[in-house]
Amino acid sequence: MPRIGLIGTGACLAAVSLLASGCGSGKKDAAQPGATAVTITLTNDGCAPDPATVPAGPVTFTVVNQGGDQVSEAELMRGDTILGEKENLTPGLSGTFSLHLDAGSYSVYCPDAKTDTTTFTVTGAATAQALPASVDAQLDQAVEGYRDYVIDQVTLLVPATKAFTDAVRAGDIEKAKRLFAPARAHYEQVEPVAESFGDLDPQIDARINDVDDPSTWTGFHRIEKALWQDRSLAGMTPIANQLDADIAKLKTLVGSAEYQPAVLANGATELLNEVGTSKITGEEDRYSHTDLSDFKANVDGAKKAFDLLTPALTAIDPALATTITQRFADVDAALHVLKGTYAGTSFVDYGTIGVDIRKMLTQKVDALAEPLSQVAAKVTS
Amino acid sequence: MTTRRAVLGWGGAALAGVAAGGAVTAAVVGDGHPGDATASEGSGVVDFYGAKQAGIATPAQARLAFATYDVTARGTADQRRAALVEMLRSWTRAAAEMTAGRTVPGVNTNPAAPPADTGEAYGAPPANLTITFGVGPGLFDGRFGLAGRRPAALADLPKLAPENLDPERSGGDLCVQACSDDPLVAFHAIRNLARLGRGTVVMRWSQLGFGRATSNGAAQETPRNLMGFKDGTRNIDGADAALMNAHVWVGSETDQPWMLGGSYLVARRIRMHIESWDRDYLADQEAVFGRAKYTGAPLTGTREMDTPDFGADGDDGQPLIAGDAHIRLAAHENNGGLRILRRGYSYTDGMLPASGELDAGLFFIAFQKDPRAQFVPLQRRLGQHDALNEYISHVGSGLFACPPGVSGPADHWASALFA
Repeated sequence: MPRIGLIGTGACLAAVSLLASGCGSGKKDAAQPGATAVTITLTNDGCAPDPATVPAGPVTFTVVNQGGDQVSEAELMRGDTILGEKENLTPGLSGTFSLHLDAGSYSVYCPDAKTDTTTFTVTGAATAQALPASVDAQLDQAVEGYRDYVIDQVTLLVPATKAFTDAVRAGDIEKAKRLFAPARAHYEQVEPVAESFGDLDPQIDARINDVDDPSTWTGFHRIEKALWQDRSLAGMTPIANQLDADIAKLKTLVGSAEYQPAVLANGATELLNEVGTSKITGEEDRYSHTDLSDFKANVDGAKKAFDLLTPALTAIDPALATTITQRFADVDAALHVLKGTYAGTSFVDYGTIGVDIRKMLTQKVDALAEPLSQVAAKVTS
Repeated sequence: MTTRRAVLGWGGAALAGVAAGGAVTAAVVGDGHPGDATASEGSGVVDFYGAKQAGIATPAQARLAFATYDVTARGTADQRRAALVEMLRSWTRAAAEMTAGRTVPGVNTNPAAPPADTGEAYGAPPANLTITFGVGPGLFDGRFGLAGRRPAALADLPKLAPENLDPERSGGDLCVQACSDDPLVAFHAIRNLARLGRGTVVMRWSQLGFGRATSNGAAQETPRNLMGFKDGTRNIDGADAALMNAHVWVGSETDQPWMLGGSYLVARRIRMHIESWDRDYLADQEAVFGRAKYTGAPLTGTREMDTPDFGADGDDGQPLIAGDAHIRLAAHENNGGLRILRRGYSYTDGMLPASGELDAGLFFIAFQKDPRAQFVPLQRRLGQHDALNEYISHVGSGLFACPPGVSGPADHWASALFA
């Protein structure tokens, strides 16, 4: 349950979008059309850029070694990070590199020169990666679609949970066992959103190792233990009541939540991280072994966010969109062979899954999550 | 930063004109005493580009991070092959940067994106980092349409009794050997390659090593293995071009021109039964190896570098170096001139849960022209007769064809194999 607040994440990304994106990217050794030209003259005395101040945007640097036998390279740096460089320039040689630079203070560095560092300034607003209006509109639609999806899932979660808690209150262990996983599935699809609301996720979804004092432990997994391990629902009515109340509160909160494209993307990655850290290990549903149902719900939630972003991502980076689509299909195919009818789920008992298959599932989820983690920056304008 | 860059220049200058192409280090190598490993090391840069891959003739660095990978790319043979080549391009670019002490290529400063480089080696000098790549026999099954390019010398290793190989620690479609004087830098290399390969490969097994168990350079004092004996006294010196060409680098004899200038890597995870060894009496330990424990001298001499006299008998009429002594069985004089370049490391993975004994030993790595004619007959002989067998078990194994070096930024590992 790593909690990355939606609000916090959103604020961070909002600030980010004003500053840097694509910083340090750009094809080297190829002058870009419309780029500002800067000449760096390399001598034993130093490496002064000319001009020393340029507007934000593409910049092509030409480094010329005018007889400096002590120096052979120049680098453009931001802080301690090398953004671009030209090396092995013996006297008389020159070379170029191009970068897309945002506003800010940079330095030109030439090791072993008398003055080895010279300031270089980029002015103006960040012009990096301004997305076309059509893509912006697609992203707006994605955000709207995701908001609707979250509300839909939580709307389904309320009665599904109620059916489960009714069985708990009625003391019907077998019925409650069948209704446990189906109710959770709605929650697991939108878990990163729930996690953004402070204590709500721990109250609903904590495992016993997440709480200091087991007597304060509430939520789905407390009842799961009663059903599968204690085989007694004694004392569970207050827990069931509280679970209903917490889910009702969640429904109110998601009605007014706001999202950004990057939040969708990061939320999707976070769902897959959840799969890797708690589902595949079998920690999530340790008493019921219904982990595969949660696994599928997490993947579905991630897929939904990705599907909504796909039209925009296809315009921004089609290769990335294709890779991710393929890897979602790989994960789905791997899950498909584990279909079953265990405990009200569409899957087999996770306790019967051997280490080889768990390892294979981890590898497929990792292969998906890696490119998925690149999406947020792509859809951040 | 200044230091790092300055060293870069110096490394490049020192490398020019060295024989055997690129596979050399510019570093002042440590004197080899265990514990001294980092005293005079850490700042060196080994050239990545060259006719030969670095990390073979290169004097052994203090630390090893070794990993093997299985290719999982799907689709038709052409699609799988394209995915693999694409990954090798990104691996090669990343390896070139990392060995130069720079970060993995890509954006590291966009607050909305995960940094391209994982960052733990940021600011650390490469410490003679070399990254050496190889392909295993599995690559030449039907998956990539490469069946016709399998070198005869890459024949699967036969059973070499006594061995007790764990499939979880054996084999692999690809291997990467990262060596550095800084363990963090070596680990950083295999970690980042695994990340770049996600979706195309999965790691099959991995081994960290320390202690540079084997000397392969005249400049290095011979280090000791975990049995407390000097190891590698008579190893091939990586700077000896004639020996390297005779025994290590693949030459025109190869049936697969893409391996010209390459070498075959055999890895064996050799567990030492440390508890038993440690209670063996000194004279027997020395008889097992055929050397004196502290000086490293052969039992027929007084100094480490004395040539063993395998014909010399003691007062009792028995050979001074016993018939089953390790150095007798391994010596090139007794194997028709057969030699290999050893480049192994000590390892420990803590304790064996089943027994409570130490899980430690030698991660043996050897390079050669043709394992069928070198490692296999040598190990067969050792397996049958070596007194050391009482104290060791071969528990993991790997065989890889390491292609020639990468010529420059436009080239990539094993490009001739896929051409």
